[in-house]
Amino acid sequence: MARVVVLGGGIAGHTAALHLTRLVGRSDEVVVVTPNSRWNWIPSNIWVGVGRMKSDQVTFALGPIYKRTGVDYRQALATAIHPEGDGGDGRPYVEITYTDPVRSGKTDTLEYDYLINATGPKLNFAATPGLGPDGFTESVCTAGHALEASNALQESIEKMKLGAHQVIVVGVGHGTCTCEGAAFEYAFNVEHEVRQAGVRDKADIVYLTNEYELGDFGVGGLIFTQQGFQTTSKLWTESLFRERGIRAITGAHVEKVDEGVVFYEQVDGTKSTLQFDFAMLLPPFRGVDLKAYDAGGADITDRLFATSGFMKVDADYTAKPFEEWRAEDWPSTYQVPRYPNIFAVGIAFAPPHQISEPRTSPNGTAIAPSPPRTGMPSGIMGKLAATNIAEMIKSGSSNPVHTASMSDMGAACVASAGSGLRHGSAASMTMYPIVPDRVKYPNTGRSLDDTFGEVGLAGHWIKLLLHHLFIYKARALPGWWLIPE
Amino acid sequence: MDDTTSSISSAPLPTARTLRARKNPAIQFWRFVAINIKMLKIIRKEHH
Repeated sequence: MARVVVLGGGIAGHTAALHLTRLVGRSDEVVVVTPNSRWNWIPSNIWVGVGRMKSDQVTFALGPIYKRTGVDYRQALATAIHPEGDGGDGRPYVEITYTDPVRSGKTDTLEYDYLINATGPKLNFAATPGLGPDGFTESVCTAGHALEASNALQESIEKMKLGAHQVIVVGVGHGTCTCEGAAFEYAFNVEHEVRQAGVRDKADIVYLTNEYELGDFGVGGLIFTQQGFQTTSKLWTESLFRERGIRAITGAHVEKVDEGVVFYEQVDGTKSTLQFDFAMLLPPFRGVDLKAYDAGGADITDRLFATSGFMKVDADYTAKPFEEWRAEDWPSTYQVPRYPNIFAVGIAFAPPHQISEPRTSPNGTAIAPSPPRTGMPSGIMGKLAATNIAEMIKSGSSNPVHTASMSDMGAACVASAGSGLRHGSAASMTMYPIVPDRVKYPNTGRSLDDTFGEVGLAGHWIKLLLHHLFIYKARALPGWWLIPE
Repeated sequence: MDDTTSSISSAPLPTARTLRARKNPAIQFWRFVAINIKMLKIIRKEHH
């Protein structure tokens, strides 16, 4: 009998846990440790953030799903990993602190044979003074945050209806943020809502981003073919900004936020301020506060985790200049060196470097979008870890067989640009691979056959379809596993 | 970084015909099918 402990119940962790329930033997145990009681389909938080969906349409209770699928569910926060145990029988374990109402604050230990770290990000609002719901800006990172953003946006729209002019700022709140695609989506959904409310002329909408140029999306931009020409996501995105009348400030690091004003620095070193009435700025991510100790109790957190707090896996972490980055630097199994029974997937693994070229301002400020690895890649990695662990349990081997490097993995991104079955719109994009492979695709870094972008109502239908499909899948309803990640 | 403002102002604007096509249910139904096929093709590449 083997026990697999999954830390985290988000897209990567929940996907891993569900696949494990169907792949491991009946005598094997699957345990999920997550501080949250509800699962959240985060991509649809955008629609909660503009009032087009309620928070319970994008979340559901995890308890009943895990009870039905036979998962031992611990609503708790993992605080430490002991990958070598305490020296006695050497059985590794994790320390947890319960967060459910009954056992809140009580600590416990959980032994494991295999561990999947899918703890996702810590929303690091603290990196930028004044950023976030406890400061002066909104967020859509959780369903709760999105609901607050929706209420604040509605207040702003009401003021516009009364004749007031409003400056709406949407973007990212630090030079090292990721998920620019989500900020882009929110900006266009806000523009759509303001237009639908008949007050578009009262709103100055500004997209504030750390991307060096529009269309970068943290992946260095895309090149695709359109009507017989190669074009760029930069041109394509700028066209959308022009069409919708949205201003953009690029290559920006937000230094701090005060009430109604953002202070930012750009790649060229200029420092500016931007007044706002409503602002939604995403926070940077870092790894959750998880410690690690060896058999003697010595702190080995630095050995398992990068300085960003994300877990080091089978990647090449050698520091090298942008020109020397290779597709092979990226991990393929997400197995932790020295501890073959630990895997880190989704946002929890430490990327070897950015995908977009990192830049530094003359003042020494890093303006470097972090690599996106949410959604589709997270789900794929979760399933990969589950599949490898199930086979390792059966074979007794410590070598995972299956691989899924982000340099050999595609992604489909549908960035909503307004909702409604007849009036909605979205920018649909696919890319293959996510991490450019300059050896395999010397001119563009990616396959031109599999990388494309298109704007239209069809994209909105696809986003809606994905919303229902993935919630169906996450609820583990009949045939869920047939729905791809 | 005023380059971005300048780039946006000179970016190609979609024609009225393109804008209509983006909203036309019949055209978009076929685009819906085509985009889904593209996405499925990418998913199929990921089995190792």
